[in-house]
Amino acid sequence: MGKPQDKKVALRVENVGVSYHRRQGFFKKEAFWALEDVSFDVFHGETLGVIGRNGVGKSTLLRLLAGIIAPDKGEVINHGVSASLLSLQAGFLGHLTGRENVVLSGMMLGLSKQGVLACMDEIEAYADIGSHFDQPVHGYSSGMRARVGFSVAIHVDADVILLDEVLGVGDEDFRNKSSTTIREKIKSDKTVVLVSHQKGLIMDVCDRVVWIDKGSVASEGKPTAVLKKYLKS
Amino acid sequence: MTKNNYVALIFQKALGDLVSEARRGYMGMLWWVLEPVLYMGVFYVVFAIVFQRGEEGFVPFLLVGLVVWKWFATTVPQCANSLMANVGLIRQVYIPKVVLPGMVVTASTMKFLIVFVLLLLFLLVSGSKLSIAWVSLPVLLLLQLFMMLAIGGFLAALVPFLPDLKLMIDNGMMLMFFLSGIFFDISHVSPTAKTYLYLNPMTGMIDSYRHVLLEGVWPDWWMLGKIWIFSCVVFALGWALLKKYDRVYAKVL
Repeated sequence: MGKPQDKKVALRVENVGVSYHRRQGFFKKEAFWALEDVSFDVFHGETLGVIGRNGVGKSTLLRLLAGIIAPDKGEVINHGVSASLLSLQAGFLGHLTGRENVVLSGMMLGLSKQGVLACMDEIEAYADIGSHFDQPVHGYSSGMRARVGFSVAIHVDADVILLDEVLGVGDEDFRNKSSTTIREKIKSDKTVVLVSHQKGLIMDVCDRVVWIDKGSVASEGKPTAVLKKYLKS
Repeated sequence: MTKNNYVALIFQKALGDLVSEARRGYMGMLWWVLEPVLYMGVFYVVFAIVFQRGEEGFVPFLLVGLVVWKWFATTVPQCANSLMANVGLIRQVYIPKVVLPGMVVTASTMKFLIVFVLLLLFLLVSGSKLSIAWVSLPVLLLLQLFMMLAIGGFLAALVPFLPDLKLMIDNGMMLMFFLSGIFFDISHVSPTAKTYLYLNPMTGMIDSYRHVLLEGVWPDWWMLGKIWIFSCVVFALGWALLKKYDRVYAKVL
């Protein structure tokens, strides 16, 4: 783990604010700022943890980094990387089989059709649900759906992986397998931004932590230092 | 993702929706034919039997209007709802919102083409003559496709901000349906009323299909040109809105 300062910036968040509109009446709307003035960098190859209370805008922040939403003020500067939220079962259709949904979902997540088909065998083996893979997903248990959803999502290789508390899904076995895979991704040179409430995990895998509070960055730095402040607050 | 990938995605999703729809019932794909037939049957019963409008040529006249209207009537409201219907997706991944109405139009057009071919066969069997004017059919179909994409896309861009619009769309469609000349001949209407009726782009479309298919004459190119210009304007507006709010919809929905 080199010093982050030596590394190249992948994504830069600069004085970003995001507002949502709350409807107050027929024409009246009230702006509500989920994030007011947030700035930080995401460096190549690092694992950045994002902590903060519920409703402080952590998920909004990940959506910003993924480009799903645009900031209402400030800027998110992307230095030529692809960033995507690890999303399970994006675009799944109940009447399609697991295999058909893998193609559709993979394409929704940004792969080309050939790209999905090329790693179909791997995805099928990873999901490990046997002959159910060729049955419609509406007959699946939620665990089986999660298995297929996770298997596609993890095979979509974005430069920056954004994780919103998704670490392990499914039953005991699959939970271990999926969380091992994610930890491998984190440990490798992948750039990862991770939102989590699990202190142990943050300490364990993150190189740096950003603590979001009251719409801006309350503290940023080494996990131990930031967590200490966060827990005291 | 590249442009080609988005085009591939549109087709993949359209196919997925169609397959999924077909698997929903026991009769599957048969419904794509059966449902329009039943729909047309209802109008046949009401107009040809109950109202005794069974004069010569009324059935082909009615069918041509109904078939192309149904394409419009299933596509536009679904298109208008395409962003709302994909909330989950929009909040999870970034896809350019302009592809969503495209997916709807693609799926409904695939279904429509089957019915349209059946209609052509029916017309030939029931005595319509193949004419050189039929060459203009692809132009009519493409124009209607473009018009539906334009109107549907424009509405899709607005509905997330104005959810109440959905109710207005349903009633608006009904009004357009009764005023589009599906079960009356537009040329029998007084000239003043006619001017108003032609404000409905589907009136001109249906009229053109009838000219070509039933009378074997060329459509009124001037009127089609006006529909094309109208569609271009609406398409540009819808496109601009969907682009402008591309990364805002995830917050609004």
